[in-house]
Order: sequence, then C-alpha cells, then structure tokens
Amino acid sequence: MNEIMAIWAQWLKPSAGLPTVQWSILLALAAAAGHLVQRYLGLPKVLGYSVVGAFAGLAGFTGAVWPLQGIGLFLVELGVAVVLFEAGGRIPLRWFRHNPMVLVQSLLESFGTLALVFWVLRLLDVPQAVAEPLALVTMAASPAVLMRVVMDTRASGPMTERAMVLSTLSTLYALTLVSAQAGLMDRPHIGMMDTLYPIAVVLGLSVVVGGILALALRSALRVMSPNSENTSILLLALIAVGTALAAHFGGSAPLAALLGGMLLKHLNPRPWAWPRQLGTASSLLTMLMFVLVSVVAAQADWNKSVVTLVLALVAARALAKILGVAFGNAGSGASWKQALWVGCAMSPMSSIALLLVSQFVAASPSQGPMIAGIALPAILLMEMLGAVIATVAIHRAGESSKPWAPVLLGSTLGDGHES
Amino acid sequence: MSLEPFQQSAALSLGVELELQLVNTHDYDLAPYAEDMLRMMAKYKLPGAVVPEMTSSMIEISTGVCRSSSEVLGQLSQIRDALVKCADKLNIAVVGGGTHPFQQWHERRIYDKPRFRELSDLYGYLSKQFTIFGQHVHVGCPDADSALLTLHRMSRYIPHFIALSASSPYVQGQDTAFDSARLNSVFAFPLSGRAPFALTWDEFTVYFNKMTKTGVVRSMKDFYWDIRPKPEFGTIEIRVFDTPLTVERAAALSAYVQSLASWFMNEQPFMPAEDDYLVYTYNRFQACRFGLDAVYVDPATGEHMALREHILLTMHQINKHAEAVSASSSLKVLRGDINRNHNDARWLRERQGQERLLAEVIRQAAGRFRGSAPQS
Repeated sequence: MNEIMAIWAQWLKPSAGLPTVQWSILLALAAAAGHLVQRYLGLPKVLGYSVVGAFAGLAGFTGAVWPLQGIGLFLVELGVAVVLFEAGGRIPLRWFRHNPMVLVQSLLESFGTLALVFWVLRLLDVPQAVAEPLALVTMAASPAVLMRVVMDTRASGPMTERAMVLSTLSTLYALTLVSAQAGLMDRPHIGMMDTLYPIAVVLGLSVVVGGILALALRSALRVMSPNSENTSILLLALIAVGTALAAHFGGSAPLAALLGGMLLKHLNPRPWAWPRQLGTASSLLTMLMFVLVSVVAAQADWNKSVVTLVLALVAARALAKILGVAFGNAGSGASWKQALWVGCAMSPMSSIALLLVSQFVAASPSQGPMIAGIALPAILLMEMLGAVIATVAIHRAGESSKPWAPVLLGSTLGDGHES
Repeated sequence: MSLEPFQQSAALSLGVELELQLVNTHDYDLAPYAEDMLRMMAKYKLPGAVVPEMTSSMIEISTGVCRSSSEVLGQLSQIRDALVKCADKLNIAVVGGGTHPFQQWHERRIYDKPRFRELSDLYGYLSKQFTIFGQHVHVGCPDADSALLTLHRMSRYIPHFIALSASSPYVQGQDTAFDSARLNSVFAFPLSGRAPFALTWDEFTVYFNKMTKTGVVRSMKDFYWDIRPKPEFGTIEIRVFDTPLTVERAAALSAYVQSLASWFMNEQPFMPAEDDYLVYTYNRFQACRFGLDAVYVDPATGEHMALREHILLTMHQINKHAEAVSASSSLKVLRGDINRNHNDARWLRERQGQERLLAEVIRQAAGRFRGSAPQS
C-alpha cells in the first residue's frame, strides 16, 4: 500500500496535501461500508466504519501513527469530548437522589470489572504493572459506540437509557483513575497521598474546565435558542477550546467535557434540543474517530499469547459488567431481564479506551508498549463485536423502533432510511 | 356476542380515567416506559387502577367508584403522587395534555397486549396516531333507560366539555389552530362520533344486535363514541375530554358532569330529540377549533351565542344541584377560568409564546402535573 502511495504522491499534488486525499477516500469508503452493513446485514453502521479502518490499518495505512499525537490525537479527543459532553448531559444528578441504586449499580460493575480483569490477567502471569493499567482501561464502556447504535436502531427505553448512563459513569471513573495513574507510572510509590493527590488534581482541573464550559453555555442559552444552528456551532467550538486547554492545564479533556455536560444539565434543567441540530458535523467527527481508532488498533501485533490474553480479558470484562449490573439491580427500578441486556450493551470499547492506553504509553516507555500490545487488539475486537452485541441487546430488550430487517437475512422490510 | 345486562350502580356516582404521557427528562419526547411504570406502581396500595394503553409511552389511571368530585380528587392525587415517585425513580416525567406537542407518531410502539396488537392489525397507522390522551368520566345511572336518556341529554353539553378541557393545540410540532386537535384523531375511527338515538335499553339492544350481526362489532369496546353506555359498570362514559394538565382540573370537570347529571335525573329539564344532533357536529367542531371562544348553536331554539356564555348560563342553572353534590367550589374554579377566558390550551400557547421551545413547555407541564409549577 505504501508503494502505491509513494507512486501516487509523485504525480499528484493536491492543494490540501496527500493525507487529506487519503483520509477523504478512507472516510468515503467508511461511509459507504457503514450504509451497506446496516442495509444488508441489519448491523450498526459503526461496524462498517471499524472494518474499513481495520483493513486500512492492517494494509499499512500511514495516515495515523501510534502512539497518537498531534492532529490525530486532537481529533480523537475532540470526538470523544463531543460524545461525552452529550452523554454527561443525559445524567441529571437529581436522579441519583431518587434512585441511589443506579449509582451502586455503576460502582459495582465498574470496580467489579477492575477487580476481575486484574485477577484474571494476574492469573495468566501478566505483570502487575501491566495488569493494573489494563484493568483500569477495561472499566470504561463506550458511550460513543452505544450512542451510534442507539441512533442506528432508533432505540429508546429504560434499558437503553440505563446502559448509556452506566457507560458514561464507568468512563468517568476510568478517565479519572487512568489520568492519575498515568502520572504515577514509572515512579516509586511513597504512600496513599501519592495516589490520591493526582486524582484530586485531574478531577479538580477537569471540574474547573468543565464548569467554565457549562457556565459559558448556560450564559449563551439565556439569549440563544438551543434549536439554533449557531448554538450548535458555538457548542462545538467551546468544546474544542476546552479540549485543547484541559490537557494543557493538567486535567483531562474528555473528563472536562463529560463533567461540563453533567454540570450544564444540573445548572440548566431545560430540555436538550441541540443534539439533533449537531447533525452531520458531529456524525462526521465521530465517524472519523471510529476509523482512526480502528486504523491505529489494527497496527497491533497479533500472536497466540496475545489472542489468549485478549480473549481472557474480554470474557472477564463481559462477565464482570453483567454480574455488576445484576448485583446492583435490586431496588433500582429495572427488571432482571433488563439488567442482563444492560450488562451486554456495555460491552463496546472504543475511542475512550484508546485514549486511556495512549496516556499510559506516553507516560511509561517501559510498560506502555506491553499495555498497548494487549489493549489495542482488545479495543479493535470490542469496537466491532461490542457494537453487534449492543445491537442484539437493544433488539432483545424490545427497545428498537426499527425492525431488524437486513436484506441479506431474507426480509424485504428494510426501508434503507438513514437516521 | 349479545349485549350484557346493565348493572346496578348508585345514581350520580363518579369514576374518572386519565390517559397520561410518559416523557424522558432529556429532550422531553415520549418515552416507552409503560411496562416499567406498571411494574413499579404494582407495589403501591392505591385506589382504582393503573393499566397500559395502546402505545408504550402511555399509561391510564382510574379512580374507584366515588361519591363526589372531592373524593375523585383525593384518589387521583394519591395515584398521581405514586406515579411521580415511580417516574422520579426511572428518571422520566408524567404529563397531562391531550397530545404530546412534537412526538412523531411513526416512532411509537404498540404495547404488547393481544387486544392492542389486534387493533393495530386492523387500524394500521391509525393505532399509532391514537397516541392521544383523554379523560373519561363515568357517571352512575339508576337504570339502563335513564342511562340512555342522560346520555342524549348530556350530548348537548359535549362542546362545553371540549372547551373546558381542551389541552391539545399542538400536533407534530405545529400549532394546529385548534384548542383540541385530539378529537380530530378520534374521528378517523369508523365507529366514532355520536351514539345512535335510542332512548330505551330495548331499542339500544336491537341496534347492538344488528351491529353484531354485521360482524363489524363484537362488544361495546368497539364503539369509540363521544358518550357511550357502559353496561358492566351501570354508567354512561363521557369520552370527549382532553386530559387536563392537573388532576385538580380533572376532578373539577367531573364535578361539572355530576352536577349536570343531577339536574337531568332530578328535574328532567328537557327531552332529547334526534334533531338535537343536527347541530351536534357543528358545535363540536366549534369547540375543538375555538375552545371557549366558540359559537354555540342551541339545538332546541337554533339560537347562536358564545359558548362561554352558554357554559356560564348552565352553571347558573345547575347551581342548586352542584351544591347538593358538593361540587360548588369546583364549579367556582371553572367559572373563574371561563371569566378570564383561560383553559389548558391557552396555557400551553402562552408558555410556547414565552419559551419558543415545545420541549420546555412539556417540562413545565410536567411540573404542573406534579403540582410544582405556576398555574398560569
């Protein structure tokens, strides 16, 4: 592939540079693949994006390098930040006052995942310094994948909402702990304060950036309609600024966006009307994010021991999430059947996990590559498989507004309507 | 299937059913939480019942048999408080109103129950468009013949009920210019509209038997009339009300029905006639379209007058009966609203004029339902 690119580069002098052309073609292919996967297999579009990205990565596409840096890192961070801002805005803090069991459910599944994955990896002789970061990364479910699946299936209902909220909360914990843990890597431990201090710093700075973002948007919403296109652009621009600044000050950009969304919902309980207005700009950003994640994740080395570890990690994570949700289900207002599907719908891993791994790689040249060696294949697998499992869970819970009507599976009901 | 016998019930007893909207707290669109709400409500010991409705974002609550509108209010308040608690736990909101202002009918899901699936098969998209929310008021009648007589007398007051309860000015995100657009959806059903003019139960039985013989209907449930006899309860059921935004207004409307029924049963003020129905559809349309500003054509005299004036006139006529059934304070509240030309449709339009965002109007309406938002 690189040879073709080299030949091409000799006679083609595009105005915006060759990478722009490469990425545009890749995105065009991803868009087409996403549509076809949904139209003919009844599976989520994100699967098509990931498959195209994975093929490009395996074929040696050089448009994205690992570890993530520069514009690639910023785009993933921005995509994640936009998704997490919206996901944070779906969590009214007052809900936990009325239903504290949701919080319990979230803590059980997240920290249960941390514990079980760590235990399984240690059992398979993975060094503690690698098992611990990997277990932290697996805490985070992917609201980004789930949100896309929800859009594709036009899902709504208690199971979908619960899965979104638990995914977002698990991401909140993982972002906080990983950002703090990454800062401590390759440093000798002194005591409890050494662990807590970085957590407080990351969380504190992210709250400040998120708070400023929320206050700015609340002020804007006093004079601007949430239905306005300009409000959507303002929102995107402010998130971009927050993303660029949060990490610079020592906080976490995605965490700041997530907290910003939660704070805005708390300060401004009025309905959120803008996600519909974000429309194509936001969709393009998230598609780019999924392709980029797959391109990068596909660059990992696959061998027998990696496959064993990845499968063990994925199985332990799935089990912990399902059991955690189920154990915390009593008194949370959901049925046992719903709890099972919520646990399944939390299986996707994607861009957030990639960012977390990226932090570890940047923080520790010694342990980083070993962590990425296991994490990247797991992310690629669960970006694709997770999206399929989430789709099945939504359909099985009866919360999809769209019948599962793939053309290849013999139904003629598919209307091919784009959401 | 033959018509079941008309059961005994206490004259002027009341029962109220309210169809309610379940909305999410994110963008305040309808949310399919009926099953979860039913499961959670089953844990409360409450009067009346909570049951599913046609689509999964709807729920219907009903009182038990009440003697007065204050008892109706007591029971509805009790059920409302439990509903609000369950909704808070599920992170959704419960709202009154005859329509959801911006929901898309095609996104609705039929509630998984044999009768609803059967109706969905028969009526196609109409069943999803039936995601509209009404209040039904049952009033007890001493016997079947007096039930039919009361039913046809009550028909003259259908425009009154529509104008007083109107709360569905918005459909699919648009102002319909109607105060009650909900009833236009009901009209699409083949067996909707007025009941046949039969003043005795024998005559009605003949009609019912003829209809069942055609195979078009199997039971009284298949009739979507504005008022219909409910033989299994020993009542007549008035079905033209939009669900009001508060349980207080729902109880006040039942007080008006009860006072009218008391007037009919105790004074026999007039005899209904088939010719009453010459202006029935026109009056009904006027009330749906203009609410309290409608023109009312008196079926007996043909006189045209403001509907608002005619409602006030009726309230004056039934004053004595309102006192007898302890409904005076409720009627006073309704009279106050009529005097300032206000109903729930007006409130919704005022809020939308202020907010320019229908989702925010719904959020504020949810606040009114739980009793925590300004009344006007």
